[in-house]
Amino acid sequence: MAVEAVQILRRNRPGSKAKDFCRWPDEPFEEMDSTLAVQQFIQQTIRRDPSNLEAILKMPEAQDEGVWKYEHLRQFCMELNGLAVKLQAECKPETCTQMTATEQWIFLCAAHKTPKECPAIDYTRHTLDGAACLLNSNKYFPSRVSIKESSVAKLGSVCRRVYRIFSHAYFHHRAIFDAFEKETHLCKRFTYFVTKYSIISKDILILPKLDDEQPVGESEA
Amino acid sequence: MKIPTAMDDSSVSHHNGGQVGSQIGVSVNNKQNDEPSQSVQYSIPGILHFIQHEWARFELERSQWEVDRAEFEARIAFLQGERKGQENLKNDLVRRIKMLEYALKQERAKFHKLKYGVELQQGDVRPPPEEPPAEPEPAERAQWKQGRQLIKQYLQEIGYTDTILDVRSNRVRALLGLNNEEVENPNYRNYDKQQHDRCDYSMNHMVRKYDYDTGKEPRKSGVSAGGGYNEEGLSVQETAAVFANFEFLTNQEMDMDEIDDLDAKQSHHPPGKQGEEVDHEAEEVLNELNLLTEREADGGGQGDEYPVGSGSSGGSAVAAGAGAGAGEADEEPLALGELAQLTVSNEPEAYDVASANKESFRKTWNAKYTLRSHFDGVRALAFHPTEPALVTASEDHTLKLWNLQRTVPAKKSAGLDVEPLYTFRAHTAPVLCLAMGAPRSEECFSGGLDGTIRVWNLPPPTADPYDPYDPAVQGAVLRDHTDAVWSLSSAHGRLLSASADGTVRLWAPRAARPLLSTLRADESPTAPAPAAADFADAASRAAVVYRDGTLLLYDLETGQPVLRVACDSPAHRVRSHPTLPLLVTAHEDRHIRFWDGVSGRCAHTMVAHLDAVTGLALDPNGLFLLSGSHDCSVRLWNLDTKTCVQEITAHRKKFDESILDVAFHPLRPYIASAGADGLAKVFV
Repeated sequence: MAVEAVQILRRNRPGSKAKDFCRWPDEPFEEMDSTLAVQQFIQQTIRRDPSNLEAILKMPEAQDEGVWKYEHLRQFCMELNGLAVKLQAECKPETCTQMTATEQWIFLCAAHKTPKECPAIDYTRHTLDGAACLLNSNKYFPSRVSIKESSVAKLGSVCRRVYRIFSHAYFHHRAIFDAFEKETHLCKRFTYFVTKYSIISKDILILPKLDDEQPVGESEA
Repeated sequence: MKIPTAMDDSSVSHHNGGQVGSQIGVSVNNKQNDEPSQSVQYSIPGILHFIQHEWARFELERSQWEVDRAEFEARIAFLQGERKGQENLKNDLVRRIKMLEYALKQERAKFHKLKYGVELQQGDVRPPPEEPPAEPEPAERAQWKQGRQLIKQYLQEIGYTDTILDVRSNRVRALLGLNNEEVENPNYRNYDKQQHDRCDYSMNHMVRKYDYDTGKEPRKSGVSAGGGYNEEGLSVQETAAVFANFEFLTNQEMDMDEIDDLDAKQSHHPPGKQGEEVDHEAEEVLNELNLLTEREADGGGQGDEYPVGSGSSGGSAVAAGAGAGAGEADEEPLALGELAQLTVSNEPEAYDVASANKESFRKTWNAKYTLRSHFDGVRALAFHPTEPALVTASEDHTLKLWNLQRTVPAKKSAGLDVEPLYTFRAHTAPVLCLAMGAPRSEECFSGGLDGTIRVWNLPPPTADPYDPYDPAVQGAVLRDHTDAVWSLSSAHGRLLSASADGTVRLWAPRAARPLLSTLRADESPTAPAPAAADFADAASRAAVVYRDGTLLLYDLETGQPVLRVACDSPAHRVRSHPTLPLLVTAHEDRHIRFWDGVSGRCAHTMVAHLDAVTGLALDPNGLFLLSGSHDCSVRLWNLDTKTCVQEITAHRKKFDESILDVAFHPLRPYIASAGADGLAKVFV
């Protein structure tokens, strides 16, 4: 190799084993000079221990909070693909004809010109696809280093819709939800995230607290 | 008969003016009386006076009518002239549009031919013939502006008044304004613009040439003062631009048999002699332009770098040097500003039509589409076998299908954003590799860190991302690999995969028992894993590179290695040449190596990048090689001379990774790169 031996190259080379994927020594956040430093840092912390919510959501000092929230939301949507994959196998349009969590609300899919009553699996896919488009939109998020205040405001509606995927899985596909949660702690992390940064109001968070079995109120806004 | 008499006595009437008055008074009074009494009262002189008076009155009226008539006639002539002027203007503009369209077609055909050696089917890109020739492009608007200026000048010379010019320009403006509102197919527009830019650029070269020519002509007219001078300078410049367009058209020595008669004729006649042969309209315009340029060749004193060629700096030179009149000066910088933009955007294009022929032709690729929608690094991409579409595979566990004809114009004009048509979800880990099925099979294959290979049925290019979920998109899953699948290659309905479990496998993905054979270099569990594999020798062999740098060539009939070469640097990719027994490998040590597929001799080795080489792609004709590297750049190589033809910095780094894959479209002039920054880019 032409590079110096002391230098660590954080790369996944073709042919590496799955267990070695991204297994490299952590890089301190201060030393990351890439424009994708925040994403790198978040992924690195998650890889170390996905259940350590405190560590994952502890923002480095002097970090722009808008970017921090944005990158976390990207990570949530990305990991939610995993839940969508699992749901695709079980959540059929015939059985889950509407996007519901509790019986109280039917959620309309906002991906269409006029919001539609999509089956749950379509709602899930459309919401994730729509979020991918919005979060990668050159118009609203042209940079991953600084984000306009008006664009940060867009994160709220994404969070609200994304949360419904968790709640649908929880109330209708509990086995899938539990298996996924055990693996990723994603819903817990998401709830912690939206609460910590007050992105969505608490009364929308209809899932019971996941650690204890104590259900919270089921009112919605 | 009385009138001549009266005429004779005209002098009398003057004398007896007062008397006539009284006589008339009498005669009027007497009208009520019966006839005999009337006749009695008439005196000859009185009658004569009366007649004289009446005659004078009629004469007066007649002359008034004549004046009126002359006035109306003048008005009719004025209006007819105006109408004719309008028509001329319209014809000229239409002609101009045809010119531009024609230039565009030729350019497109030539470009296509040179790129692929295949004649372009014009039908693909031509707008429907009934489509109105709207000109909403800023680039083309510059042309319009020039055209208008030119005609204005021309009309002034043949004596139209300013009023008419104003009226006309207002109407033209209204007309253009209308046209601008018409919605065109954005794809066509964009493609058009791209092509058009290229035309313009080539025109610039021609302008220089033209100026050089006119510089030799005797200067005929003196420099007029102030605004006039400026105006003249401008018109020469625009004439030169248009004229250059013609020269450019006629200079095409390419074989353009397929286009139409017009082309054929033009290409075989020298520009000066084409008179009767060429399209009648073209001839007319050419003559007009010749006239103009002869008269105004003096403007050429401005030197041989007219603003058309040299952008805004040249424009200001004209303005400053001429002490521009206020009116014209207002418009001019605008026009030049647009031109300047054009030329600037074309700057990296080392493309010279004057010397363009098959040997010296060199295409330069420019970023056009940015594919944003992945949340994490894009590991692989593959173009659709025929359509302008591609699939990308990402570490975010998804694949996405993109149609390059469904774009969203980006804010800063340079490129276009594409939104994905479909998201393929099924992998439970990063997707690492991708292969496109045979033409018309509408399938693709992906391999992931989860060890699975998945077959996908591609949705049609008309699919909407928000259609209901169709489980039929997911095809078979090949699960024999026990570790990450890092490389896929497809040919003749078979699939070759390389995995970190140490094996390379050959599949018939649609068969009931898809696994055909397993190729293993070494049975020991510590043997290096294959990094990449590719079919070679018309898919009768498989070329496999291993993490330790070894290159092995397997015979797919026997499953035995037939060639083994060792290399000391880990390899990332291997590609086999589409026609020659040549293998190309990309290495961690920044090298690209070329191997003779028969003898195993190293045919060539070169330091290709500043960092590890990660992506390799050969164009369908085997003339060019595309490489990508963690140094953030994509390089295009001439396979014949092994020289770098172009370098494009394309992606940002994530950790120490940058570009992860590159690809050529099998039929169309597209190349693409995939980056660890989550973007894919397509260049045209």
